[in-house]
Amino acid sequence: MYSQTLSKPLQDYSRQLREWSASECRPYARQADIDKRRPDNWREILDTAPIPLGRADVPEPDTVPTFEEGHWVSHFAFYENINYGDVWVHPTLGNGGIGHLVVQAMGTPAQIEKWYDDVFVAQRGDTGFALTEPGFGSDTSQVSTTAVQDGDSWVINGTKMYCTGGAFADYVVVFATIDKSNGARGINAFIVPRGTPGFTVAKENEDKLGIRSWTTSELVFTDCAVPLENRLGWSAEGGDAQVGKGQGGALSALAWNRPNMAAMAIGLAQASIDTVTPILRGQRAGFTPQRWAAVELDLEAMNAALERGRRLGYLAQTTVDQGAPSRTLSAASKGYVPETVERVIRHCMQLLGPEGASKELLLEKWYRDCKIIDIFEGSGQVQRIVVGRSLLGRLAG
Amino acid sequence: MMNLVPDEELTEVGDLARSIGAELLAPAARDAERAGAVPDDVWRKLFETGLAVPVPEEHGGGGVPDPMTMLTVVENLAHGDPAIALAAYWNGAGALLLAEHGSTEQHQHLAALATQPERRTAVALHEGFGRGAAELATTVQVDGDHLRLVGTKRAVPFASDAELVLVVATDPDAGALRVVVVPAGAAGVTVVPDSGRLALDAVRAADVDFDVELPASALLGGAEAPADVEVLVQRLRLWAAAAALGTAQRAIEYAAEYATGRIAFGQPIGAFQGVSFPLAEASMRIEAARLELVGAVLALDERPATEHDDLVSLAASYAYGVGTQSTRDAVQTLGGHGFIKDHPVELWYRSAAAMAALDTDPARAPFSARL
Ligand SMILES: Cc1cc2nc3c(=O)[nH]c(=O)nc-3n(C[C@H](O)[C@H](O)[C@H](O)COP(=O)(O)OP(=O)(O)OC[C@H]3O[C@@H](n4cnc5c(N)ncnc54)[C@H](O)[C@@H]3O)c2cc1C
Repeated sequence: MYSQTLSKPLQDYSRQLREWSASECRPYARQADIDKRRPDNWREILDTAPIPLGRADVPEPDTVPTFEEGHWVSHFAFYENINYGDVWVHPTLGNGGIGHLVVQAMGTPAQIEKWYDDVFVAQRGDTGFALTEPGFGSDTSQVSTTAVQDGDSWVINGTKMYCTGGAFADYVVVFATIDKSNGARGINAFIVPRGTPGFTVAKENEDKLGIRSWTTSELVFTDCAVPLENRLGWSAEGGDAQVGKGQGGALSALAWNRPNMAAMAIGLAQASIDTVTPILRGQRAGFTPQRWAAVELDLEAMNAALERGRRLGYLAQTTVDQGAPSRTLSAASKGYVPETVERVIRHCMQLLGPEGASKELLLEKWYRDCKIIDIFEGSGQVQRIVVGRSLLGRLAG
Repeated sequence: MMNLVPDEELTEVGDLARSIGAELLAPAARDAERAGAVPDDVWRKLFETGLAVPVPEEHGGGGVPDPMTMLTVVENLAHGDPAIALAAYWNGAGALLLAEHGSTEQHQHLAALATQPERRTAVALHEGFGRGAAELATTVQVDGDHLRLVGTKRAVPFASDAELVLVVATDPDAGALRVVVVPAGAAGVTVVPDSGRLALDAVRAADVDFDVELPASALLGGAEAPADVEVLVQRLRLWAAAAALGTAQRAIEYAAEYATGRIAFGQPIGAFQGVSFPLAEASMRIEAARLELVGAVLALDERPATEHDDLVSLAASYAYGVGTQSTRDAVQTLGGHGFIKDHPVELWYRSAAAMAALDTDPARAPFSARL
């Protein structure tokens, strides 16, 4: 049976999260953008949360509850509402990086126990995902970082860029080819812990248009040796037949995270609408009746546009929770939302006029922040190729 | 007879402005943003080109371009850098208002403006949102030999630097649009401290509150014969909107060039329609928007004044919409690299949105989701 109502506990959790992120986190948004890092007192800010956030920096478990809808639907709601405050908040929770998702999807049981259960969950470590290189982003078959077996180590050489959280991660999952002649099949993932000799941070953070509080690092690997068992899906003795290998595994692990990025975009756009609505109502006297009618229609249309995006995202994540995930739906959610969100935020600025682009408000910042969402974790075009393939097969592309 | 092809002279001026944009403005864009001002040497060189301050020859200037030439000049300077182009444009707009409509006494200012690059004027036009000139809430009322100017202007260029602020206001008694020439530091002028903006920092904009009493001779044109500024004010909006198109054009050219060199999936990304089509769309729309601005400039002389607000709002809102969409598509074309300050597309993305916030009429540019 169709229902478009979240369960009461998830609704309550979402509302509390949204109110808290707006009232306690948003006041630090401007400074985090200027400083290009999270607020120094981020721990104290997180301490004020009335609900569990899944914090990585506290000893007692602070796990985000899984509601009856399931893990992925709960996380969709989580990402929208935590980003409603601002984009600086969720990376502080230790899940800004996504390397652990690859471990979970591609690791052997022993690797999952060590790097997911132990380092990521129990020790609440930060992880990074290092796939992109200067020469490619979308076309992951172009990995030029190499891994060569030398006795009981893999020796990695290459440069990775735009790695979220890379400079501070406890470990980074690095994609490297062990056999260039084997194309995409030669690409493997390796766990490289921070401090491994030969692993250096060439640039801690890029100078970016938006999400400036996030760390976006360039990493260089020079004769960087890791033990054989750090190759995901393999042990020192050899491959584990039960686990997915290579690039494909990595990408499906990420597919389910894509709607979460759409949720992040929706959070920013909803925050923008909710910022301008009361301001406009207060200025209503300055509008002619026709123009005021136009403003009201716009507010309605923008809210409806976000609602469409939400439904797609919830549908995609429900299929994951029900055990029948669809890459197409996941791509549809991530493909549909970001550009509409850009338009919503831009239109909110235009409705206010010159004040809309002033740093007095956060609209201008959210307009900068939101642009990345149509680029990373698969660009808008890449999502359309995925959706197109569900109709046209390999012809689409 | 219909002719929408620019003539040779217009093309030449456009080319000249484009090359000044490329050689002088573009290289200074990042410095101008960092400093929140046009670098001094750039300003002086731009001043020397004669394109920056339109003052008639009889007042010591290099002449006043006709409205179509202005449109072309602003667009093509903005192709170099929108912030510097708009700084020059809005400063020049003050001189232009004085030259076109000033009294003999007000013309006295022109010689200095035409010869001394450090002089600044400001035009205070915009209010809360893209409202047509006829609906401005700032008023001027004349009482005997005095006038009172009351209202708030938003994003006034050079608000703290200008020695003269030309404030556009409605005179409810006369039922007409007026300009009041307000000297810097006049009692009752309050520049609101500015917290910065999304872009266009070199324009040095700030909001200004006015509650000013001045001699009635401060009306542009003088107390006896205050000027009818309506058409020129509408042109100012159209010329400013041309900057959005220059920015858009530059952004898609840059993106197209990038797309010919960046390889993915075995080909330059420009070979994918997912990359080339958005740029092609932008190109078509820029052309259409430019013609709409041209059409609106012509219509200001052809159509009754009652229609001016609507046709200007429509043309300007469309141009700003094209500006924002084209610049987002340019960032998108570069992917992650477009998001990093190593490339200028992020600057154009911000600039186009900042321009669009100045003068988009909600009744003429409704929200549309990406379908
Ligand atoms: C802030 C930030 C954080 C990031 N975090 C990470 C991270 O943690 N880990 C990581 O590995 N990477 C990360 N990235 C990199 C990001 O995933 C890439 O930027 C993205 O994959 C796009 O790749 P690219 O920039 O090389 O663009 P390109 O792949 O060069 O693409 C350029 C343009 O061409 C389009 N295009 C490419 N191929 C096609 C096609 N076949 N058909 C149609 N259009 C096509 C793209 O959609 C895009 O518009 C991050 C980037 C940024 C900016």
